[in-house]
Amino acid sequence: MDTAIEIKNLTFAYSGKQVLHDVTLDIPVRQVTAFIGPSGCGKSTLLRCFNRINDRIPNAKVTGGSIYVHGIDINRRDIDLQELRRRIGMVFQKYNPFPKSIYENVAFSLRLSGLTKRTQLDEIVENALQSAALWDEVKDRLHSSAFGLSGGQQQRLCIARAIANQPEILLMDEPCAALDPLATLKIEELIYELKKQYTIVIVTHNMAQATRCSDRTAFMYLGKLIEYGPTMQIFETPKEPQTEAYVTGTFG
Amino acid sequence: MPNEEIPENQAAHRFKKRGFSFESAIRYFFASNAGLTIVILTLIIVFLLKEGLGFFPGYRRELEVYRIAGLEFVDISRKNLTDHEQLTSVLNRAYYAEINGKCGRELLRSQEANALFNAYTDQTSSTRDLVLNNTQAGENKESKILAALGTNFAKQKAKALKSLPATPHLSDRERHDLIESIRIRSLESTEDPALVTALAEEFSNAQQKQAESLIGMRATIDAFDAAGAELSMLVSEMTEMVTATKEKIQDADILEKDRKTLLAAASSAKDAVEREKLTAEALASLADKPDVEGPIKKLLERRPQCSDAHRALQKSVEPLAAQLPESLSQPEASRLLSAARQTFPVFITNLEKTLPAIRDWNDKAPVELTAAIGSFLTGKDWVTGGEWQDFYGILPLAAGSLMISIVALVLAIPSGIGAAVYVNQFASNREQSLIKPVIEFIQAIPSVVLGFIGILVFGSVLRDLSTWDSLSWIPGFPIEERLNIFTAGCLLALMSIPTIFSLAEDALNNVPSAYAEASEALGASRVQTTFRVIIPAAFSGILAAVLLGFGRVIGETMVVLLVAGNRIKIPDFTSGLGSFLQPSHTLTGIIAQELGEVPLGSVHYRALFVVGILLFAVVLTINATAHRFVNKMKR
Ligand SMILES: Nc1ncnc2c1ncn2[C@@H]1O[C@H](COP(=O)(O)OP(=O)(O)OP(=O)(O)O)[C@@H](O)[C@H]1O
Ligand SMILES: [Mg+2]
Repeated sequence: MDTAIEIKNLTFAYSGKQVLHDVTLDIPVRQVTAFIGPSGCGKSTLLRCFNRINDRIPNAKVTGGSIYVHGIDINRRDIDLQELRRRIGMVFQKYNPFPKSIYENVAFSLRLSGLTKRTQLDEIVENALQSAALWDEVKDRLHSSAFGLSGGQQQRLCIARAIANQPEILLMDEPCAALDPLATLKIEELIYELKKQYTIVIVTHNMAQATRCSDRTAFMYLGKLIEYGPTMQIFETPKEPQTEAYVTGTFG
Repeated sequence: MPNEEIPENQAAHRFKKRGFSFESAIRYFFASNAGLTIVILTLIIVFLLKEGLGFFPGYRRELEVYRIAGLEFVDISRKNLTDHEQLTSVLNRAYYAEINGKCGRELLRSQEANALFNAYTDQTSSTRDLVLNNTQAGENKESKILAALGTNFAKQKAKALKSLPATPHLSDRERHDLIESIRIRSLESTEDPALVTALAEEFSNAQQKQAESLIGMRATIDAFDAAGAELSMLVSEMTEMVTATKEKIQDADILEKDRKTLLAAASSAKDAVEREKLTAEALASLADKPDVEGPIKKLLERRPQCSDAHRALQKSVEPLAAQLPESLSQPEASRLLSAARQTFPVFITNLEKTLPAIRDWNDKAPVELTAAIGSFLTGKDWVTGGEWQDFYGILPLAAGSLMISIVALVLAIPSGIGAAVYVNQFASNREQSLIKPVIEFIQAIPSVVLGFIGILVFGSVLRDLSTWDSLSWIPGFPIEERLNIFTAGCLLALMSIPTIFSLAEDALNNVPSAYAEASEALGASRVQTTFRVIIPAAFSGILAAVLLGFGRVIGETMVVLLVAGNRIKIPDFTSGLGSFLQPSHTLTGIIAQELGEVPLGSVHYRALFVVGILLFAVVLTINATAHRFVNKMKR
């Protein structure tokens, strides 16, 4: 099994306050890996290390260990962040399309890389929207504002935006947190489809969701990785008592 | 209210409100404050409208008098006369620019020698006068005082001789001789040093020599000038006639107004005797209707004479156009000449067009209210307190206000928004905590202070700078007036930068950070994020910032009053961008300057109110639009 992201003894701190302790795990290629754990345990922080978007936060930094993406240490000095982020797409918990048209939202990353040919743009935008299962709903109003869409549609638009420039890895931080069950179902189906092409890492609070769509699950608690393994095993025969307490809902 | 139907026995229930609480007192306090503001604002608007709207009927009457007294008729001819004078003056300026330009070296030499001698006399004249006055007063020449004054003068003289201006066009020998002649010059001497006189002569000789080659041009200009004499005579005769008529009408108007006041007082008087008395008084002051028909008939008898004078003028100047030289050698001179050559045909067609105007002019044509409104909104002249006729046309003021605003905004928008973008997006925390307070500090400078800095420092520096030869390619340089549209615009830019900066910075700040995060997660750099996401998202807020900056600029009074130069004239747009270096007056400035001096209730007074109303409306519209944009951004 190929490894997409390899995390070795990672520690991380916000302004000196350590929130990740010695995390080590391998994320396999073209599978869905879920991070679960109680609120504040550091799931988002870990996820946001993979595309170094934490760099935006002042005083937040990796204090030890390393992360390899396809074998390359991404915390090296000479990493081209823009290129890294083009390879690793991200979908946020709160859907955040730009205040632009649907079309321009999806075309954003393409325009960044200097693509201006209309026919090419049109094609890629359509493909991305197709992949995000949104095309049929928006094809008649591509040029109206993205804010006119429903919440679930906006989140799928964000997914389309993230996959428009063909990343290898897709990070999703609670992508369904703000959505109703129907929209959630749509996204889950979408994840199932996307798995064929992309390596997906998803943070979720929804146990059912984790069982439904992930291949492997990592349980975190207080900044530590408690247990990591195939989803079935984590939910049915957890080795650690904490994991068992959490997945059975008797935690705390 | 449903409460009122509640039966008596239920009135005293458990949740019944008890009396007047502290909370409602607070509520009423704030409500009354808000109410007061609205009442005051309404009063202001009502007052403005009441004072202002009387302007249009008043102005209409003034324009009517202008017509029936015949001033309008005289102005038809006068306009041509003024054009003629202006053209003469341009030709003369071209002539002298050519001559002086050709004798440039002699002129400079003479000027430098003069400047040197003047610098000396400026520094020594006061001590010298002291010595001379005391001597003349018959003081004993040996007296101690005189001796002290003498030494004082000698000291001053030595000091002055050390700090003389440079004279690059005089030879070292000449400069040395000149200084020497000043040094040995006797105290009493009033003559200029020999070299100064010699150089002045050298210059006038050169001038004469150059004039010889321009003899043809001189003759043409003189002929042109002389051609206007007949019309000039005629106009000044007619002027006397019509001013007399106008005065009579105005006097009668005043009497009529008094009479109306008396009658109004009579009708509201309480007892009969009083009423009787006032009515009698009113009747007594009933003015004889001024005789308008007679004078106007006499004036119009001059109609043929007037037309003839125009025809004669046209006939004598028409051939002159061809006699003007094709071009001149000095740049300034040829610019003036070509300007004159361009206006020449216009002048002649205007003369032709005047003939039908003179023939068809009709003193009986009615003056409508719309004419007064039109003349106010599109009039090119704002002339007040003159002996001839007052005009209230706001174009020159509006043009000034607009041009100053353009300069201010062109300067303030890039720097204000640029600073906002930098501070918000790229500056480190330390830079932020330095730049923000500094820009906001500008707002704390009182505009009067800014005004005199503008006059003393900026205006002077700019003018000195504009005389540099290496900068003469800039249109409008060298600047003639220290106080002009550009200087005022620069200062207003300074004043509006904080407004634009703060509001634009707020707008950028209000862009949710989720946008920036999403953009960077998609592989955008900081700069790309700023320009492709943040600024577009903040666009309407930035636009609002610019509009409010514009509102600030157009409503500003003090700085423009001090620095814009206050010349009521539509800038001469033929000089292109150079027209921004001309002085001008503004809508705000005119109110501040004239309101204190106008008689209460006069047409002029009301005109200023209408200008005020106009400004109020403009600023209100601008602010309302800005708020629309802000709301759009909040969405
Ligand atoms: N920007 C920040 N500055 C300082 N501390 C932070 C910051 N973001 C998160 N933290 C802290 O880091 C710890 C981990 O936060 P993180 O957001 O990774 O948790 P999480 O597992 O994603 O929680 P949730 O499930 O609620 O999203 C928390 O204790 C949190 O308070
Ligand atoms: Mg989280």
